[in-house]
Amino acid sequence: MENKEALNTLNDIKEMMERSSKFKAISGFSIIIIGILASLVSAYIYFFLGDYHINTPAKWRTTVIIAIALLVVAFTTVFVMSYLKAKRLNLRFTFDTTMRRLLLNFFIPMVAGGLLCIALLTQQHYGLVSSITLIFYGLALINCSHFSYHELRYLGYAELALGLIDCFLVDYALLTWFLGFGVLHIVFGIIFMLKYGRRK
Amino acid sequence: MIANLDGLNKAFESKIRLGIMSVLMANESVDFTTMKSLLELTDGNLASHARSLEELGYIRCEKKFIGRKPNTSYSITDLGRAAFSAHIQALASFINTQQ
Repeated sequence: MENKEALNTLNDIKEMMERSSKFKAISGFSIIIIGILASLVSAYIYFFLGDYHINTPAKWRTTVIIAIALLVVAFTTVFVMSYLKAKRLNLRFTFDTTMRRLLLNFFIPMVAGGLLCIALLTQQHYGLVSSITLIFYGLALINCSHFSYHELRYLGYAELALGLIDCFLVDYALLTWFLGFGVLHIVFGIIFMLKYGRRK
Repeated sequence: MIANLDGLNKAFESKIRLGIMSVLMANESVDFTTMKSLLELTDGNLASHARSLEELGYIRCEKKFIGRKPNTSYSITDLGRAAFSAHIQALASFINTQQ
């Protein structure tokens, strides 16, 4: 056996272990887009509500409805653009073990956090909702990073830290949402694209 | 299986068997369809190579029904994990001696 052959074999093994256990078809550009969307929506709420203090039930109601709509649009964007990326680069994009694991590990913290927020909102404890959304989103990213690009955990750490800071601040919900879902996504998306880019 | 002079395991000489083992090292269990698309194999090809690994006691094959659909999934055994690790070790030390 040749030296090179042995090296190739080891690389094949490594690549197959990696490819089979991680979902690698997330579109970096879609992360930037949801960051921009979130920023625009934050700006809209800011001007629509007059100021960034979301402190009345009516303001909260409007904000929550807009946020849920944004969430749906964001997931659809990431899903569709990742599908297109997979198609373009000939990557696997099927609902198999890898994708199932990624979705499961992402949505368990997300659903838990979502239910907690609903409970808080219905009991009119508005104060911690913004930090809880960021904290659970951060945990979801850290959790699912084991089954996809491991860099996702850095975005997760950032969201988590921001959420924890937000716990101690009063009335800055809109600002931290703007930073967490807008700015951080744009920054992460750009870094992600610089690293993984459109190479092939 | 007999190890040759390099300590390399003959069972893993085939690229397909090597692929199956690599996938199972990284995953707790993988179903037939996923394995097939990962390694870009045909049904028969995967089945026969998987069977030979199963006969060596390196992998476990579990057949069950999900609803009415038969579902086969594979996982690695302790023996298989040890054998494959030894194979990787042998490859690595082979490269080191050549340098």
